[in-house]
Amino acid sequence: MKKEIIAMLLAGGQGSRLYVLTAHVAKPALPFGGKFRLIDFPLSNCSNSGIDTVGVLTQYQPHELNSYIGSGQPWDLDRLEGGVHILPPYIKGKAGTWYKGSANAIYQNISFIENYNPEYVLVLGGDHIYKMDYAIMLEQHKKTQADCTIPVIEVSVEEASRMGIMNVDENDVIFEFEEKPAKPKSTLASMGIYIFTWEKLKRYLIEDEANPKSKNDFGANIITSMLAGGEKMVAYRFSGYWRDVGTIDSLWEANMDMLSGSDIDLSSPAWRIYARNPIAPPHYVGDNATISHSLVTEGCSVYGGVFNSVLFNDVTVEQGAFVEYSIIMPGAVIERGAIVKYAIIAENAHIQSGAKVGSPPGEFAGPPEDWGVAVIASGVKIGPGKVVGAQEMADADLV
Amino acid sequence: MKNMHGILFAYSSNVRLKELTEHRTASSIPYGGRYRVIDFMLSNMVNAGITDIGVIMRENYQSLLDHLGSGRDWDLARKRGGLRLLPPFAYAGIRRDASTYRGKLEALYAVTSYIAYIRQEYVVLADGDLIVNLPLEEILERHMKAGADITCVCLDCESGQESDAYLRVGAEGRVSEVLLSGLDENTYPCIGVYLLSKSLLEGILADCAAHSFVNFTRDVLQRMQSRLNIAAYIHKGFSTRPQSVADYFKQSMNLLKPDVRNDLFSRSRPVKTKVRDEASTYYAPESRVKRSIVADGCVIKGELEDCVVFRGVTIDAGARLKNCILMQDTHIERDVDLSFAITDKEVRVTRGRALKGHESYPIAISKGSVV
Repeated sequence: MKKEIIAMLLAGGQGSRLYVLTAHVAKPALPFGGKFRLIDFPLSNCSNSGIDTVGVLTQYQPHELNSYIGSGQPWDLDRLEGGVHILPPYIKGKAGTWYKGSANAIYQNISFIENYNPEYVLVLGGDHIYKMDYAIMLEQHKKTQADCTIPVIEVSVEEASRMGIMNVDENDVIFEFEEKPAKPKSTLASMGIYIFTWEKLKRYLIEDEANPKSKNDFGANIITSMLAGGEKMVAYRFSGYWRDVGTIDSLWEANMDMLSGSDIDLSSPAWRIYARNPIAPPHYVGDNATISHSLVTEGCSVYGGVFNSVLFNDVTVEQGAFVEYSIIMPGAVIERGAIVKYAIIAENAHIQSGAKVGSPPGEFAGPPEDWGVAVIASGVKIGPGKVVGAQEMADADLV
Repeated sequence: MKNMHGILFAYSSNVRLKELTEHRTASSIPYGGRYRVIDFMLSNMVNAGITDIGVIMRENYQSLLDHLGSGRDWDLARKRGGLRLLPPFAYAGIRRDASTYRGKLEALYAVTSYIAYIRQEYVVLADGDLIVNLPLEEILERHMKAGADITCVCLDCESGQESDAYLRVGAEGRVSEVLLSGLDENTYPCIGVYLLSKSLLEGILADCAAHSFVNFTRDVLQRMQSRLNIAAYIHKGFSTRPQSVADYFKQSMNLLKPDVRNDLFSRSRPVKTKVRDEASTYYAPESRVKRSIVADGCVIKGELEDCVVFRGVTIDAGARLKNCILMQDTHIERDVDLSFAITDKEVRVTRGRALKGHESYPIAISKGSVV
């Protein structure tokens, strides 16, 4: 069962910078953009690029993610040969350990990869929003005879100091990798996606595993040692929409981007993002509802005001409730007279009548740099008249 | 106890449905923003744990085939059983020149060999163009408890529903008389859902074939009423079977009532349909929407009041729509003024056009037309 290329999707990270949102769910299973989960983006990209074999490495809170992926059918990844496979850590003989790092996770699954005897392996993250044809990147990888191809995106100098930066020569060959440089020499940021020639990667994974001092991390260890080893590493320039949504603010901002006609079109039939669909009727807009510059989907009932917001399936906004610049995840209820501004309301949370969640930057009393969106964790109830201010997070009922 | 098999009759069409059935059979008319009519009975069966369903079709079934596919969206793509499509084929008794079956019995004769292989004890017979959310599991329980031979699902006397059979019901729900018309205050209209055992069905078919009977209500329910124990199950919820364009329009507008929506789209018995992988619907700042149901994948910049909007519809700024049904991928351009209109799939109404129908005569615009 030979495959030219297979994908390995790193989905085991805890997503600790998303705090209460990922307390009970793996980051790639987080809802995004009204109808999707984060993992829909890499899975759909694979499917649309003609990659039909994907290993999903899970470790942290995997149940919801596992049942979401299921047979892979929504992404057309239920195949006779290949398809999507969930790969949790397992016991080998008497030993067996958790995945120690992203490189170790791939290392522990060498035998899975070898089953397909691939020429190339695509390594993906589960927390990036973008549309990319990996087949075109693979063409470049083959044409440049690279050992590793890394997609990069042009960022501002300010952003560059917060990201992994690739310094390249005139042929886009990478000669240096700097993690969060104080003084960036270039503004080409790594997108955290890699195509490796499998034979090379395998050698470096085995070497890395043998080094007790290594953190077994892709960026910090594998890429660095491949560069030191003189392997041919080439940047692949990408100019479309790409966002890392690893933090509360970036998750909120990327959702807001979906409203503004940014350069990613979620509804384009040419490159669909597939998702497992909930079974719900069309949404209903009531007599006194006002919806402006917002996304609304199946199962919602809107009787109140919704402005500049993203509503997921089965959300109820009662009459007299007011929602602005917010993300309301599946099943949440915003009761009569509740006010939600600049907030993320997680699944099945319940904002009861007259409660207030979040506030705009302009109304924030503290220093502006301390402002942030308010977050209500899944299933949490905010009682009548209770207040959750900007930047605050509620992970338990407030009644 | 899930010992039921489903058979859906998807061959019927009604000439009064005009444009709506120009390209399709009545069972595959779009309804309720994201469904085809057949989704309702299919989901009723699946929600009751039925795993094997046969769909009898005769003509104009291309759109139905496209919609049903392998049955996967209803969880019916199975190795054993699952969805079985039963298009017409050449059997001894077929009337080759006819475009439809004369009755349910004739349709069932055509699939006699299929019926012989049914592995469940009970069979539910139902019309594919019936819109209702039924608890079939409960109906089977009642059927067994009452020791009935046939259970007919009907509506309350006062529902005023048109039917081809009305039942007079005696003690303990037993049917005392079957009428083919003549509605009075004490007769219950049948909605065309029947539950009986496989062995009884086979016996009835053999008997009726010998007599060349074709009509289930007249030749089975009425003729055999005295020797069979026929029970009535009275359904209190919403039910309809669109008879004409105006009726379709009225029954679609009924969905804007919360009690009808809650009944038909019950959370415990959800209606499943073909997945289209659309993104969410976008409401622009200039949009104004009231009392409407809207499916996914739409871009709404205009004004809507009392509308049913299907998947992938675009409504440009300045358009004003009242009492309209807009099917999949309709495009309404700027400053269009529409009321009491039904636009079929892929209709485009160009800039500034105004069309006004009436409740009694809504305008139906055929699939793919440009106005």
